[in-house]
Amino acid sequence: MDTLFSQLSTLGSSVILLFGITLLWRKSLRAYTDAFRWQSAALTVMFLIIGYFGNDPELYVVAVFLFILKVLILPRYLERMEQRFGDQRESQPYVNIVTSLMLSGLLVLLAYVVTRPLVLVSDLPTRGGLPLAMGLIFVGLFVVITRKKALTQIVGFLVMENGIALLAVLGTFGIPIIVELGVFLDVLMGFLVMQVFVYHIHSTFESIDVDQMNKLKH
Amino acid sequence: MMSNLFFIMLFFFGFGALTALIFPRGLPARALPAIGAGIGSGAGFALGVSHLFILHPSSFILSSFLPLTGFALRLDGLGAFFLIVIGLVGVSASIYGFGYSAAYEGRYSLRVMGVMLNILLLTLNLQVMADNALTFLILWEAMSLSAYWLVLTESDQPGTVRAASWYLAMTHAGFAALVAMFFLLSGGELTTSFADMRSTSALLSPLTRDAIFLLALFGFGAKAGIVPLHIWLPMAHPVAPSHVSALMSGVVIKMGIYGIVRVALDLLGGGPVWWGGIILGVGAVSALLGVLYALMEHDLKRLLAYHSVENIGIILIGVGAGLIFHSYGMMTLAALGFIGGLYHTINHASFKGLLFLGAGSVLHATGTRNMEEMGGLIKKMPYTALFFLIGAAAISALPPLNGFASEWLVFQALLGGFNLPVPEVALIMPVAVGMLALTSGLAAACFVKAFGITFLALPRSHEAEHAHESPLSMRIGMGLLALACIGLGLAPFVVVPVIGGVLNGLGGLPDTRAAFTSNLSLQTPAAFGQMSSTLVMLGLLILLAVIPLVMKILRVNKNLRVSDTWGCGRVGQTPRMEYTATSFAEPLRRVFAELYRPSKELTIDFHPDSKYFVQSIEYKSEITPLFERLLYDPFLRLVQSTARQVRKLQAGSLHLYLAYVTVILILLLLAARWF
Repeated sequence: MDTLFSQLSTLGSSVILLFGITLLWRKSLRAYTDAFRWQSAALTVMFLIIGYFGNDPELYVVAVFLFILKVLILPRYLERMEQRFGDQRESQPYVNIVTSLMLSGLLVLLAYVVTRPLVLVSDLPTRGGLPLAMGLIFVGLFVVITRKKALTQIVGFLVMENGIALLAVLGTFGIPIIVELGVFLDVLMGFLVMQVFVYHIHSTFESIDVDQMNKLKH
Repeated sequence: MMSNLFFIMLFFFGFGALTALIFPRGLPARALPAIGAGIGSGAGFALGVSHLFILHPSSFILSSFLPLTGFALRLDGLGAFFLIVIGLVGVSASIYGFGYSAAYEGRYSLRVMGVMLNILLLTLNLQVMADNALTFLILWEAMSLSAYWLVLTESDQPGTVRAASWYLAMTHAGFAALVAMFFLLSGGELTTSFADMRSTSALLSPLTRDAIFLLALFGFGAKAGIVPLHIWLPMAHPVAPSHVSALMSGVVIKMGIYGIVRVALDLLGGGPVWWGGIILGVGAVSALLGVLYALMEHDLKRLLAYHSVENIGIILIGVGAGLIFHSYGMMTLAALGFIGGLYHTINHASFKGLLFLGAGSVLHATGTRNMEEMGGLIKKMPYTALFFLIGAAAISALPPLNGFASEWLVFQALLGGFNLPVPEVALIMPVAVGMLALTSGLAAACFVKAFGITFLALPRSHEAEHAHESPLSMRIGMGLLALACIGLGLAPFVVVPVIGGVLNGLGGLPDTRAAFTSNLSLQTPAAFGQMSSTLVMLGLLILLAVIPLVMKILRVNKNLRVSDTWGCGRVGQTPRMEYTATSFAEPLRRVFAELYRPSKELTIDFHPDSKYFVQSIEYKSEITPLFERLLYDPFLRLVQSTARQVRKLQAGSLHLYLAYVTVILILLLLAARWF
């Protein structure tokens, strides 16, 4: 039983990480939104698996909220913004696709290095997924740093947030539900604020390229 | 009764600050905060007096006051003495401020001024009662910040913001040193009471004690304005409203003296000879350089600010000499040095407060601080002139005024130096005597200039010609301090035993009240000095009466002729022919050229037809600000170039900032992995 649980958790984490890496080799915003939606769906499944094997019915509730927020609401908003700004392609990222993929491989490797002490002392059945979750956080950060469009950065941020949620659920089998709900609210608020900023950036610079903001420096 | 006085003081400062908040303008906005500040200061003064004269020597403890906050207040003799100093200037400045701030109506915020004045006075009064490091530091910072706001009052005038920033920077550099100092002294526990520090400080290693002393000297020195940390005084004092200048110069910088005496003598209980030596040296240099720079000033308030540097120097000469004697166990002479220093502290507070108030009246009447545009004011504003003259005579140490009494004591302490067992140390003393003597002489010359150019001769400008006497409240403020100058000068036989009592027990000093005989003449224990201001005063009065009488008898006035002063036979003298402040100071500028390094620029515009006819002459001369150039400019350049390097990190790119965050995160994770 335990082996099935640990295999499932490693598999699920890998799938979630793969959706994160998708961001690095796709260019259109629609692909990003889809990747985020699928990733969130996988994360929901992950919560259900851990809730089932860990005998924690609270996680089912969290999974429902997660599904509503990250599979239904946020991708919907992203699509709406996308329609408004037209087809925005990440044509010239700071780091090109090939290098990005190699660097993300290095980042996942780094995640294995930094989580190694934790994995060694841990006897959790889900410990195999911890480095992958950490790697997802790094990949999300990497997307935020190297991609120019504001929308891409938002997706990068959401992916990173997914990584944190995954790490939390793998490492603790579910934090108290009230905290979990608070985090969801934070994500929603953060997203709405970023949305407002994107609209402002667009109306000021006629573009949602964040590097335009260099002009603000005097 | 004493705790009543204490709460009256708190109440009225609170009242003053609150009414300033409530009334933004008009008569109540000037009167009520002034009343609060005045009565509050008066209560503080009464508290000090009743402690020293009535309930001495029991100490008044307020540690039960707000017990949970870590605040501890306790009044002892030294604190009570400083309460008197604060109260004296505080009352006068508050009364004066009522009239003076009328000109601020509608131009500057009376609200900020009223609130901050009350907070400043309150923190000053509490400062000298602080009984642990936490209380001391919090009050110190509150005092510095409220003074900063007051300096900023006329923030639209050129230079004000810059001056206030300099003040803030210097005072905070000092504050940092003080925090470090108290951490060392209290062993990291800031709520340790001063009483515990007194008993544990002897157990600290000599190196720690030296570090504490040096940090204290830097921290308190920055506040007191010792050379080379004096740089903010001549900037910040002139731009503040004049009653605030009086408070800052008279009282705020004295907190530096209070701190040095409190820490070096009381908490540390004295130290090796070089502690006293370094204070003496710093004091002598400050005194001499302060007066030398003052001589070159034509801005009346800047001149006074440089004189504050000088007088802080004189005070520190006394304190330094006291510490030297203390380290050799010569307690009576040590007490003499400290008494001289503290006596000069209250004297300087009264006459410098008076002079700043006088300068404020002149500024009020003429609208300028430039002495070259004044002149002849004695006829327009006789009271101000009289009060300013009293202050000028006092600061020049002319008997029978108070400056003379305290400088005499400092001299006596230095002359007692021949008793020192180590000749190398004993040799310092005559050098200090020489520097102090030179300082006193130059100070007198400087005030001949300040008074003469400002008040005598013909008006040099339209404004001076139409000057007017200041309102009654301002004259009362000045009058109070003038009375203090005379009283403190005539009664050293009262003041000296009181200060002796204040010092009794601090750092093991003995009770010296018996050593100084309390009759009309003041005798020092070394027994070769004796003076009586009162007798000098009588002698002067007799002379004043006798001279006209003798002249009358000898019929000297028989051929009386009325004519222009220094007329030289010319007809139609104009103010342009008068002696100027620049020309008065010119000989000294040449003598001390090595220090001033004056730059000279002479442009003569000849008539095109003949060079024997001159159309205009332009003469410009500036002295080199040595400390700014040699000490502060390189430091500022270093800070700025570092800041420019750091600024490169701020490239303005969002991605770069995010990358910083990521890199730091990864480095931290790696660090956690390996360490």
